[in-house]
Amino acid sequence: MKRRLIIYMGLPVIWCLVSGQVTIGSIFLGLIFGMVVVQPFSKLYRLDEVVTPTGDWLAKIPKKLVYFYVLIKEIIKANIVVAKIVLSPKIDIKPGIIAVPIRTKTNIGITGIANTITLTPGTLTVDISDDQKVLYVHSIDSTDPQGIRDSIRDDLEKYVLEAFE
Amino acid sequence: MAGELALVADILSIISLFVGLFFLSVGMIGLLRLPDVYNRLHATTKVGTLGAFGVLLSIIFQEGITPMGIKAFTVGLFILLTSPISGHMIARAAYRMGVKLCDGSCLDEYAGKRKD
Repeated sequence: MKRRLIIYMGLPVIWCLVSGQVTIGSIFLGLIFGMVVVQPFSKLYRLDEVVTPTGDWLAKIPKKLVYFYVLIKEIIKANIVVAKIVLSPKIDIKPGIIAVPIRTKTNIGITGIANTITLTPGTLTVDISDDQKVLYVHSIDSTDPQGIRDSIRDDLEKYVLEAFE
Repeated sequence: MAGELALVADILSIISLFVGLFFLSVGMIGLLRLPDVYNRLHATTKVGTLGAFGVLLSIIFQEGITPMGIKAFTVGLFILLTSPISGHMIARAAYRMGVKLCDGSCLDEYAGKRKD
């Protein structure tokens, strides 16, 4: 199946969500707008490439739900950590940039782990190395770089690997 | 019965609105108090996400599955996707423009890794 067809099927769904109503009219409108919007980006997304939809994607939905549960838990934790730092009378932080090796190989896996790192306590992704093996992560408390590497590998990367690769 | 349900929805809506507004204010205070670009991004990307989520959740509790509720849900999903990416882009652009880490920084393993 060409990638173009998959995108043509997905964009009307997003249009229905944005317009808030699921009617034949809005699906049709979404389809027309999707076709117009996709056209300028045809080179960027390799629309005519043939991709084979695997059954893998459906089988991983429980893993994805676990990942979202972990993500929401970590977001709430991150907010409490940052709120504590911001509201303390004297700001006492030791920030720094840490190199974190990652095991994910695919583009979607790397995007997933980078976004997850940004949304979790005290860390913010800055850049990726040229060979896509090391992420540079800004940490608000970098007194223990090895501890941060371990916590990213054990707590976050495990779920991203299971959900997206 | 319907009246009680509406009351519960109202209470949940008000609680999540207050949680959201609290975290949004913390984010803004952080933007003013923290020392440099990178630390300020910590405050805005993380805290802004949960703050906006609280406000949107309050709309969802109030409206239920109506066009407005579904729109709030979609906006929440897009914020979850785009907020870390914008934070990442700002941090990277700042580093490449030569913005230094603040004085208390104790580690920079990124230094010298970029040739350009």
